[in-house]
Amino acid sequence: MTIRNTLRDHGQRYRPRMACLKKAEKVLLEMQDPKSGVKSQPQRLVITTIPHAITGEDIVAWLADRFQIDTREARGLGSMLVALGFVYPLQDHKRLLLKPDASLYRFQTPYFWPAQQWPVEDTDYAIYLAKRNIRKKGLLEMHEQEQYNRLHKWMNHKWDFIVMQAKEQNRAAKERKKPDRVVFDCQERAYWVVHKPPPGTVSAMDYGLDRRIDPNADEVTGENARLLREDYDLHPAVHHEAQSQVVGVHRLVKYSATYNSHDPFLSKCLPSNPWHTDDVTYWTLNMPNVETPTKMRVERWTFSFGELLSDARGRDDFRRFLKKEFSGENLAFWEGCEDLKWGTAATMREKAEQIYKTFLARGAPRWINIDGKTMEITVNGLKHPHRYVLDAAQTHIYMLMKKDSYGRYMKSQVFKDTLKKAICPEEHKFTDAQLEQNAKNRRPSLSPIVLRQRELEERARMAANAPVDITQLCRFTTPVPHLAVYSGLVDSPSANPSSSLAVLAPCPSPISVTPDSTSASERRAEAGGKAEQDGEASRAPGSTCKSRVALSLRRLLRRGCGVGGGPSDVFASLSPKCQSAAGASGRIRPISPDASSQAPPRRIGNFFQIKVDIPPECRIYPIESEDEDEENRASSQGAWGTKEIICPWESLTPHNGTG
Amino acid sequence: MTRLVRGNGASCAVKGGQPGQNFVRCSWQVILMPLVVACYRHLASFVGGCTDGLKLRDELRQTRERARELATTICQHLTLHLRDKSLPVEQRKEMELLWVALSSSLELLHVDMCKVYNMGAVFTLESPRLVQTGMQGGSSEIAARALSLPDLNRAVNSNLIDGFESQEHKTMEQEINQIDHMIEDMETKVNVLRWMVEPNGPLNAEPLGSADSASLALLSVDDEQLAGRQPAGRRVLIVALLLLCVVISVATTLSICIFFF
Repeated sequence: MTIRNTLRDHGQRYRPRMACLKKAEKVLLEMQDPKSGVKSQPQRLVITTIPHAITGEDIVAWLADRFQIDTREARGLGSMLVALGFVYPLQDHKRLLLKPDASLYRFQTPYFWPAQQWPVEDTDYAIYLAKRNIRKKGLLEMHEQEQYNRLHKWMNHKWDFIVMQAKEQNRAAKERKKPDRVVFDCQERAYWVVHKPPPGTVSAMDYGLDRRIDPNADEVTGENARLLREDYDLHPAVHHEAQSQVVGVHRLVKYSATYNSHDPFLSKCLPSNPWHTDDVTYWTLNMPNVETPTKMRVERWTFSFGELLSDARGRDDFRRFLKKEFSGENLAFWEGCEDLKWGTAATMREKAEQIYKTFLARGAPRWINIDGKTMEITVNGLKHPHRYVLDAAQTHIYMLMKKDSYGRYMKSQVFKDTLKKAICPEEHKFTDAQLEQNAKNRRPSLSPIVLRQRELEERARMAANAPVDITQLCRFTTPVPHLAVYSGLVDSPSANPSSSLAVLAPCPSPISVTPDSTSASERRAEAGGKAEQDGEASRAPGSTCKSRVALSLRRLLRRGCGVGGGPSDVFASLSPKCQSAAGASGRIRPISPDASSQAPPRRIGNFFQIKVDIPPECRIYPIESEDEDEENRASSQGAWGTKEIICPWESLTPHNGTG
Repeated sequence: MTRLVRGNGASCAVKGGQPGQNFVRCSWQVILMPLVVACYRHLASFVGGCTDGLKLRDELRQTRERARELATTICQHLTLHLRDKSLPVEQRKEMELLWVALSSSLELLHVDMCKVYNMGAVFTLESPRLVQTGMQGGSSEIAARALSLPDLNRAVNSNLIDGFESQEHKTMEQEINQIDHMIEDMETKVNVLRWMVEPNGPLNAEPLGSADSASLALLSVDDEQLAGRQPAGRRVLIVALLLLCVVISVATTLSICIFFF
């Protein structure tokens, strides 16, 4: 039979299992043994004596003896018993720790023992505060007064009852003898110190979040259990679990060994563990946007790629390295995907579009190198964008970075510099007095809302500063006049490129450009000048061509060719149709072959190398039929083909191709 | 309509006539309910402690029964009245206050009963390993108060010991279930919007006449942290002592002067 908690918990949240309580109860019962338990002595007060007081050192000695542990551990165990509320101090009742000297303690009565099944209820606390209020004639402590007012507000409907009950409890208490009354007051006070700790202290009964499953509910028994067992025997695949568990254990051991020295609680933390000494230097030194990281932090980056990425400072460093290598688009794409995954639902669609246009579309400015199958899945998924639509692509890019860039980063100069500059703070050595001072000076940290705002501002600022970096890159996309493959040219350098850049991460990569300059000519020869009457606006070379492209790109990048003109102008024309943050309205215009030779040198149109004549097998991206039709229609109107980057899920409205 | 304002904050209206008398009786009983519940809680705090024993369990049982009787009667009365649609608004408000008081009392009682039930399983009478809590006195006075008897001088029948515990256990289970059902019924049968109920009493209840400052004083002797709250008496004492010293020194000086001159 289960005795349910009184309060009908319609929210169905339960406290977790608290196995320590049952174990502590057993220990406490053992301590009561008149022969082998803890020795007690009477406590002398002004006019009376109360029996069953025990000293701290006796408790520690008994625990050390019973469990065969050293004094320090016994002291810790004893402190835990006090903190949980099984034993309460008679002097200094607000500090729940065990002092291994002659200070007196007493056992708590079982009624006030902490229990998992019965959470502490506000009604009881209100009654207790009301009782204290009555007896102390209104002189409650600050935090108690606050709580009292709060409870009065929230339990207003019960207030008459609460006051009535408080008075009745006081009157009933009067029926007891004087020493018993004192003991009961001490017990009750100790109970509430444990469960409603005064400000600045930590409660041992903190358990985090409530659970969804009731740990006290009946488990599977009887018939169902038998069936489950049979199931196990019949399915040998289940036995693999056992083997994988062994593997799991090894991994766990390895993980523990690696991270042991980095855990602030298991090993020494430099300068000092804030939880122990109340000094927050450790946290300030390890802030996400700190200039020089600590040595331990940099060491963590070498453990795995995931560690590097999850640390904001590490990611920063990695980004710097990639910028030097001109392959920052992978990281930018990864970050964009993370942003999409963790962002608000309202902005998801927009973000997905932005990412598509920046990284995935045909001729995107920062086109990333993923294989055809993944691209297909992604583009299909983008028709109905959801939070995890870019998961496949993101994983691919992650593995790419991990296998390729990460290794090079570890050997790079950037990392070596960072490692050299990393600081190793000195250990703090606080005296007891200083520790007390620290405890008094504890201040709450910044609200997470403020931190988030700062983060957003920082990001916006970074994005706004981005144009400065971009002009350094991609100066090699000089249009090659003889190639008739051009896409368009931005007709006028658009006024406000930075707004479009604000949504793009810095250091765009001119990846889309190079294929043109190197392999375009060959392909053009092959294709024999297929006009886009095919309606195939080519996006990028096929998978076979891509590797070549990538290599050539790398070579070019390493040579550090510069590109003329402002790539920013190109970006301005990125979003002709879709409403995005890019405010520019310029469209890519087709250039007729003869006009290309007269193109001004400042032309930077190659960012939108939309190939028209790649062989079909190179064309790997699934081109939606509507797209095709639209382009057919557009091309048949005599234009060179729409060179806008159109999101495949947008409903296309026919409009004049030249725009 | 006359108003009966009780010192402890529960007020009830009295209407002339038969239903009114029922009403008065009911509200008296509702006042008794917190009393019994408070006493039960005090008794429950003895369980498992060094004064636990058959007597205590018996007292607990009796208190429980009284609480249950009261609860059942009040519940019936209140349900009857609250379901009556023709009740005037004023009276309905009073009724709802009583209703809230009753349901809160029942909830407290339920928790206490559960705790006693569980603790009874751990601290059985057969193998007593009781916790040394420092209690010395008995609980009979509290039980007497709960049962509204002058004293409880009943010798415990030792024949009760055999099979008392298991029977007790079963009975407790049933009783807890019964209280559970009662609470549920109260929730479902009568629609009382708790958040609309307004209390009559003030925020801070008036202190009791003779505050038991004695026990408070004993507590504060234990307590080393009398941060900044020096009792006024001590200050007065120090001032008086100082004055005395000054007076004595003046007197000695004068006497010396007289002696020499």
